[in-house]
This record gives sequence, structure tokens and C-alpha cells, in this order.
Amino acid sequence: MSADTDTKDQVAALGEKYKYGFVTDIEMDKAPKGLNADIVRFISAKKDEPEWMLEWRLAAFRRWGEMTEPNWARLRYNKIDYQDAYYYAAPKSTEKYKDLDEVDPKLLETYKKLGIPLSEQKMLAGVAVDAVFDSVSVATTFKGKLNEAGVIFCPMSEAIRDYSDLVRKYLGTVVPVTDNFFATLNSAVFSDGTFVYVPKGVRCPMELSTYFRINASQTGQFERTLIVADEGSYVSYLEGCTAPMRDENQLHAAVVELVALEGAEIKYSTVQNWYPGDENGKGGIYNFVTKRGDCRGARSKISWTQVETGSAITWKYPSCILRGDDSVGEFYSIAITNNYQQADTGTKMIHLGKNTRSRIISKGISAGKAQNTYRGLVSVHAKAANARNYTQCDSLLIGSQCGAHTVPYIESRNPTARLEHEATTSKIAEDQLFYCLQRGLTAEEAVALIVNGFCKEVLQQLPMEFAVEAQKLVGISLEGSVG
Amino acid sequence: MSTAHSHREARRAEALESFRVRGMPHRRFEHWRYSDLRAVLDAGQVAQAGTAHWSIPALPEGVEQFDLAAPNAPAWVLKAYGTIGNRPTMEEASLAFSDGGVALRVPAGTTIAEPIRLEIAGGGNLRWLVVVEEGASATIFEPHGSDVGLLRNVGVDVALSEGAALTHIRFAPFTPKSFVVEHIAVAVSARAQYRAHFANFGARLSRTELHITLGGEGAEAHLSGVTVLGHDGHADVTSHIEHAAGKTLSTQLFKHVAGGKSRAVYQGKITVREGANGSDSRQTARALLMSERAEADLKPELIIFADDVKCAHGATAGDLDPESLFYLRSRGIPEKEARRILINAFLQEAVETILDEDLRAAVWHEVEAALPRAMESAK
Repeated sequence: MSADTDTKDQVAALGEKYKYGFVTDIEMDKAPKGLNADIVRFISAKKDEPEWMLEWRLAAFRRWGEMTEPNWARLRYNKIDYQDAYYYAAPKSTEKYKDLDEVDPKLLETYKKLGIPLSEQKMLAGVAVDAVFDSVSVATTFKGKLNEAGVIFCPMSEAIRDYSDLVRKYLGTVVPVTDNFFATLNSAVFSDGTFVYVPKGVRCPMELSTYFRINASQTGQFERTLIVADEGSYVSYLEGCTAPMRDENQLHAAVVELVALEGAEIKYSTVQNWYPGDENGKGGIYNFVTKRGDCRGARSKISWTQVETGSAITWKYPSCILRGDDSVGEFYSIAITNNYQQADTGTKMIHLGKNTRSRIISKGISAGKAQNTYRGLVSVHAKAANARNYTQCDSLLIGSQCGAHTVPYIESRNPTARLEHEATTSKIAEDQLFYCLQRGLTAEEAVALIVNGFCKEVLQQLPMEFAVEAQKLVGISLEGSVG
Repeated sequence: MSTAHSHREARRAEALESFRVRGMPHRRFEHWRYSDLRAVLDAGQVAQAGTAHWSIPALPEGVEQFDLAAPNAPAWVLKAYGTIGNRPTMEEASLAFSDGGVALRVPAGTTIAEPIRLEIAGGGNLRWLVVVEEGASATIFEPHGSDVGLLRNVGVDVALSEGAALTHIRFAPFTPKSFVVEHIAVAVSARAQYRAHFANFGARLSRTELHITLGGEGAEAHLSGVTVLGHDGHADVTSHIEHAAGKTLSTQLFKHVAGGKSRAVYQGKITVREGANGSDSRQTARALLMSERAEADLKPELIIFADDVKCAHGATAGDLDPESLFYLRSRGIPEKEARRILINAFLQEAVETILDEDLRAAVWHEVEAALPRAMESAK
């Protein structure tokens, strides 16, 4: 038992300060506080958007006014005052940067602290970074190489202006404007995000990556991401997040839409490490995300991998609509909650086409006083002959005051479909811990080792650049909690 | 009016108010998602359904029986009457609108070897309850008649004292035009055991709902069931087992075969309360779909608030294993026969959990009678 106590102390000491907790002071260009049609117009005007986009936003805003916030998730939080937040904030920048040297050195400093040395990006192994600082993307690298391949990789606001037809064709087709409360809010006020288009038959020459970062105090971040992989193409997209420390709860409602046409493959990986609040449950990000992929063409594939360690509230269900025959959907997830964090996350696999296959591997780790819920749906429609699904949900509990919950929905309407679901809940076995300690590992190392082993199947799915970071995160996320 | 009588009336009035406020369950109630009762039945029809009939042809010696239609209920009846479980809306309706039912008591230390046969017939609301006192044990066989009419809504209270054991076998025949709802609330004390088997053959809407609280150390619940559906049958088995104390054990094994245009539903929720360390819970639900128009919905749910637990669930939906089928066919068994053998084996696993040989044979007989309907192709 004393080993446990020691580890608790050690790990608590480690986790005392949120590693990424700092605030950069840059003069912000803010919209007034609150949300109304004028704010929506303000955002649209700021972005210099075409008329159709403004109409689209306003329609969403009107619809949002009629909707009620969902309450079915196993989450408890104070009521969000949507009028008590800023819906637009952009770093002051008028000119486009031609060179990294022109970028505000303070921004670059921020990235450095985050471990994204933009100036060194070009040396790194093929990672192009479209860094989003609050709401406006400020620097993009590797444009040349991507241009050569014909890949479009740019901020959403730019895409709306420069590739209007393309954006208009796909935006909102996977997550309809009226999909849910948070998606509709996002549709009305989204500030920026990323647009990716990979043309027919092109294998994107590098991993695409964007770092999102919430910076200005009290500014919600409403990112909108759209990735379209045209016939026979391939793209791997990495999304990673850290945020500065602060007390107010911040709302984040992003929407991510993926479209995979015939034979295309999209791999979408996320490491989410936003500020989770302190050990008393004060502060932290509220993260309400709608992510959905549409395997529109035959033999297309969408794979979601997520490592969720941050945020006070996580409400997130990256899903796949398996529309095309022989299409494949995958969901690999690690969700770690500690202290007073709450996560309600999972996926939906909607099998519509013949011979569609899906695989769900979810690892939930709950420690402290946290609540961690897997919520998932596997639905096989009548025409989805020979559909296959395999689901595995494992939960690990560390400490006696946390909760781990599994809520799977399995619906089959086709006799030739085969669906399998398994779930287990357990704690770190005393004998495993003992074995590690006896080999000379500290309790803290032992827990990190065991938890990493528990998550291995998911960690393996991450691109190499993320896997290292994610493994470390798994270790440090479990502050002061050994069972 | 005696105090006992007014006590019961007060509970019924409370139930009426609670049903009036909450109304009919519908698919927006998350745990009624697959059985939209409000869409097919309104509260007035429930209120006016009258009271269903019960009968116990031969009461085994040693069991006390009380007719709930009679006044002056004894204390043991009042203690259990509508007091167990989480009082869902349809259970409240059975309390509010039934004018009768039966209460059974197995006194402390008594072992009743012979099953108590409790027959349910006719349409309407009905209550029954059983109290099994310390160290006592009994078996209740609850066959339902097919003369349901529009609605049969039964509410059951089961109170098991320390070390008590009850085996409960419920059988409901195919009643294609009826709505059949039964809510069973079970309180299991330390070292007591509740074993139950539910054989469902479908109705226009059938719902068997269990709420079991394992309230003392060493309490156990073992549930199993078979659902065999054809035509446009519907059967929903929903269980909620709460591990409220440590060292409690629950197991569940449910098998569904759905043919025609039928819909088989299983929802199993396990809650492990804070501090219920040493809880062990296993849950398996499997569905076989026999036709292009049938549907299976499974929702095994784990809600865990304690760390020292072992909880696992597994759920599958699909067709028969093609390799097993191939194996049998390669031995010269025609496909139809091979399928029948495999389906029998699939269902038998759940029926075998019935320990009483006669009851097991009785249930199996019904399963075999229902299978041809499930194997018919959809029209």
C-alpha cells in the first residue's frame, strides 16, 4: 500500500502544473460579447465571405435558436451562457505572410513552447503544418510540394473564397447544418478551420497536420474542418491540441466532415490535450465536437484515431457512414479522465452498403473523481448484406471514486450481417503492479507501463509523430491516482 | 376502513399520480427506444383495461397465499406491495389500475420443492408479489395464457430475505394482436439468490422489464432467456441489475431468434454502486436473424462506480456460423436440417440453465413449437 501512496505523491507532484499552461499576450481583434444575427454577419464580413456563405450561417443561426441543448450524455456541468462569450477573435494581422520571418515573433514563441518549431518544420519528416492560432491560420508550409501534387490544404476561410464551388459542394453534406445543437451553433459562427482536397488518384505526399490552440480568454473556438478525398486518393491528417491555463470554462464546438469517394482513404488522428481544469474541477475546456466521415464511394475507408486526455467535458462521437459497398470504417480511441474530468465519447458506425466493415477499439481510463463513458452505435441497415463489425470496449478504473461506463447500441436489420461486441471493466491488477515493482520499477513507472500496455492497440494506430507524444501523455495524464 | 387498507390505497393513489404525470412510455424515453408503447396505446386504454386474472391450481403446502382483492392485508404484504424497485411508469399503472392479484409468502427456513404454478390469464392490469423469508426457497412458474385481448400489464414485487432463494420461470406465448408488459422488481438480500428464465414468443409489443437490486454481500442474480419470434412479433427484454453491495454476483445469458418481420430487443444495464467492491457481473446477449425483414437490437450497458470489480459483457448479432453449417452439410445433413440443429443448440444453451427438469422440458417444448414460425421467410 505504501508504494501506492508514494506514487500518488510522485505523480501528483508531476502533475501539479499543467505543462502547456501559459497565455500569450497578443492584441486580439474581437467581436463584441454575445451571440446574435449581427455577430454572425460580423464574422462573415471579417472573413470576406461570399453571400451564400452568410446566408448559410444565418439559416443555421435561426435554426439554432429553436434547438435545445442535448442532455442525454452522462455529463454534468454548469449551464453554458451562450451570450457570455466572444464568438470571434483573431490575431491582428493584415498582411499575408510570405515568409516565416514575417510572422509575429510572439506567435512563433508560442509555437516553440508548444513544441511546434515552425521554422524547423521543413527539416522535419514531411509534416506540413497549417497552424491555427485562435481563429485565423497564419502560416502554412510545404505549400509548394502539396501544390505540385494538386492537394489543396488551406484555412477554411481561404477555401471559401478561393475554392468556393468545391467547398459549397461538400460543406454540410456530412454533418447537416441542423444535425445537432452544437453542430448548428458551429455552422452559424465557425471562425476558421482547415480545408483539404486530395484530387483523384493522388496519394498525399506527406502527413497533414494542424495544431489548434485556444488562446484568448473567454473566446470559444469554433473550428470547421472539411476533408475531401477524391477517387482513389489517400490522405493522413493529424490534429493536436494544447491550451493555456485559465479558470473560466471555455466552450469549444468544432465540426469535422470527411468525404471519401470511391477507393479513397482518409486517416484522421487526434491528440487532444486541452486544459482539463485543476484538481478541484475548476476551469477546463468544454469540448463538444461533431466529427463524421462519409464513405461515399465503393471501397473507401475512413479511420479515426483519437487520444483524448484533456478537456473538463468531452462530448465527441467520431462516426462513419458506410454508404459505399465494401467500404471500411475504423475507430480507435483512448480516453483518459482524471480528477473531475468527464468524457462521454464513442462512435457511430452506420452500415448502409454491402460488404461494409467496421472496427471499434475503445480504451477508457478513469482515475480520481472522473467519469468516463463509451457511447456507441453500430447500425446495420436492411441492404447492408454481409456487413461486419467488431467492437471492443475496455475500461480501466484507477481509484474507488471514479466511474467507467459503457453504453453500446447494436442494431441489425440484415441476417447476413455479423456484429460482435465485447466489453470489460477492471482495475489494474495487484499482481501486475507487484510484478513490475518487484522488477525495480517505481509504482509510477509501473502504472504508466501497464496503462500503455492496456492502450497499445490504439497507440499502434497513430502516426509515428503522434505516437511518441501520446505515450508520454498517457503517463502524465494520470496525475496522483494509483489503485 | 382499516389502516392496512388505507395504506395500500395511499400507495395506489401515489402510483396513479405518478403515472398521470409521466404518462405512457415512448421512444424518447431512452430505455423505451425500441418499444414505442405510446405510439400504439394510450393512457386511457391502460386505465380502462380492467384487471387480469390469476390462478394457482395447486398451492404447495407451506406457502401462504393472500388475495390482493381482499381487504386487511397482512403486514408482510404491505411491506412488499409496490415498494420495491425504481417504480417505472407502467409499473405504477399496474398498481393504480388493478383491482387484484396475489401475494405469496414462503416462511423462513422452508424449502418448497414443488414449483408454484401461477397462471396469468385475460386482459388488464395485475399485481403479484412473493416474499421469500430467511433461508427459504421456492420456484414460481408463471405461464401466461394467450387470451390477452388488448393489453396485459403485470407488476411484480419479489422480496428475498437473507439466504433465501427463488427460481422464477416466466413463459409468454405468441399473441400477435396484444400488448404485453411485465415489470418485475426484485430486492435480493445478503446471500440470497434470484434465478430467472424468460421465454418470450412475441406480441404486437412485448416488454419484460426487470429491476434487480443486489442489496447485501453475497447476493446473486442469474438471468437467462430465449426469445423466438416470427411474423411481426416483437419482444423486448430489458434488465437493470444494481450491484448495491460488495461481493455480489450477476450473470445473464439471453438468446434471440428472429424471423419474419419481427423485432427482438435486449437491453441490459448493470450498475455497480460506489463501494460495491468485489462485484462480478457477466452478461451475454446473442441474436440470430432469420430473415431480411427481421431486426435485432442489443444494448448491454455498464455503469460502474467502483474500481475493484469484474464486469464483462458480450453481444453478437448475425447469422449462423457458416463453418458449422458447412461441417454439418459435409456430413450429409441437408441445409434446412443443419440450420435447425444449430439453432436448437444456440437456444438450448440458455434453456439449459433451468434446473428443474420438468420446467425445462415444458419451456423447450414451447421453443420447438415456435421455431417453425421463426424460420419461415418473411412475407
